Amino acid sequence: MWKYLKTAHLAALEKTNGGIIYLFPDVLIKFFTLIPLIFLWRVVMTSGVQVGMSLQQMLSYTVLSALLSDLLAVKTPASGWLSEGVLLKLYGRPLSVLGQLTALTVGGWLPMLLLFSLPMALMAPLLGVRLTPATPYFGISLALCVSLGFAVDVLFACLSIKLRNMSWLIGRIRVAIVSLLSGTVIPIRLLPFGIAEALRYQPFASLGGAPLSLFVGAADAGETLLLQILWNLILWPFALLVFKRSQEGMVSYGG
Amino acid sequence: MAAKTTLRRIMRLFGISAKMDLAWLMRDTMYALAGITADMIGNLSVVSGVLLISVRFGGIGGMSADEVLFMMAYSTLITGLFIVFGASNNIHISRIIGRGQLEHFFIQPLSLKTQLITYGFCPFTGGGNLLVGLILLIIAIQRLGLTLSVGWILALSGHLLTTMVIIVARSYLASTLAFYAPVAAEEISSTVIEGTWLLSTFPLSGMPAALQVPLLTILPEGLMAWFPALSLLGKPPLGWSAAYPMLFALILTLITSYFFRKGLNYYVRKGSNRYVPYGFRR
Repeated sequence: MWKYLKTAHLAALEKTNGGIIYLFPDVLIKFFTLIPLIFLWRVVMTSGVQVGMSLQQMLSYTVLSALLSDLLAVKTPASGWLSEGVLLKLYGRPLSVLGQLTALTVGGWLPMLLLFSLPMALMAPLLGVRLTPATPYFGISLALCVSLGFAVDVLFACLSIKLRNMSWLIGRIRVAIVSLLSGTVIPIRLLPFGIAEALRYQPFASLGGAPLSLFVGAADAGETLLLQILWNLILWPFALLVFKRSQEGMVSYGG
Repeated sequence: MAAKTTLRRIMRLFGISAKMDLAWLMRDTMYALAGITADMIGNLSVVSGVLLISVRFGGIGGMSADEVLFMMAYSTLITGLFIVFGASNNIHISRIIGRGQLEHFFIQPLSLKTQLITYGFCPFTGGGNLLVGLILLIIAIQRLGLTLSVGWILALSGHLLTTMVIIVARSYLASTLAFYAPVAAEEISSTVIEGTWLLSTFPLSGMPAALQVPLLTILPEGLMAWFPALSLLGKPPLGWSAAYPMLFALILTLITSYFFRKGLNYYVRKGSNRYVPYGFRR
């Protein structure tokens, strides 16, 4: 365990190698995206249309989604490193490859959690946003969401291995699909034309949207957790099996 | 010595880029089609979110759902133009500068400007979003019952060109940092362009002026789709002139030109340390 913690620590330090000043553009963009998004929801939620969520719930949902964005839709460096030839380096170390990827990813989250999420969480009350979970099950749901996120990421990495040289394309499609289907940008229950009902039980709905809905008290804890556990039980064995079979097919050009 | 740049020469260079793009499509059709699909899905996921909200809530901040659709069509057209003319990092210029690849352009018998304008042109594999944008635009125009005139089409073209100028100028301004800090600033153009893309699709109508004004000046995301779309619908926001984006683009271009030249001079004197003697990038 100590080795993985050290790996995570190194990943966190790597993000700030050039100095934390180079992280500020990303922090500023996150900040300047979140503020208008809060006002956008204020504008639409005061239109009088009933959507089963209050303005306060919507604001908490939006702010928390921004604060925990890396955790709600997990993205390891696996796909990118495959095309760059860096992934193969992990095989030369006396640690599990997936374990290293997990540690490196979690470590990489830390600088942004400290530089953006923590200050914004402290500022939230000033924006009229309450960040208190409506249920204690939020923590469990978040853990299941992160776990499922890693499984989904492994599957996308395997797809990159299978399709060779298409990691950029897969990454682009994956971001598009996950952001829309996971409910991290717009809560799934707000989607019109019956889309909400259709998307409710698909695996991506058990990612970011699930813990966020529990946090604001807009979902049933029992059903949400059950679905998350179910998708974890289905996707993890599948991801491990596919990854095991895909490893020998890895081709990297480097560059 | 750079060859004389004429309009004919520029058109021929666009033709060469288009030919290479077509060759890619024909020789690696599956990969090229996957790229086109990825571009379209990526953009549609961004604009559909805002559109679905507007449909669900019957509009946003005084803009009807059809007006939001028109704005999303404009945004998609911009995405399309961006991809069609910027396929080779010529708009993500910090990547070229940061990777020490700018001197590759110096050995060509063409001016740097001419090369940067023409070599990212990919009408075949990059035209997907432009097509989707045009379709959305036609639908929005029909639903809004807009009467088209030559003047309106010229205004649309002018606004699209202005928005593109702002995107390019802003990217080049931020990318100036890559002349001085090539590793750290290599991806700064991505941060400036892609990082703010979602924000640029927000209809700012109904938001307080204290938020709208900074988003039209300091961080001009409101000029990417919201302001031009409303101007084309005959109601420019805040009572400002519909020509405001052009003025903004002009000022930004002058500022960018000054700093970029300064950075380029620094680069020419100092060079880049990104490549080791045997060719790999540090």
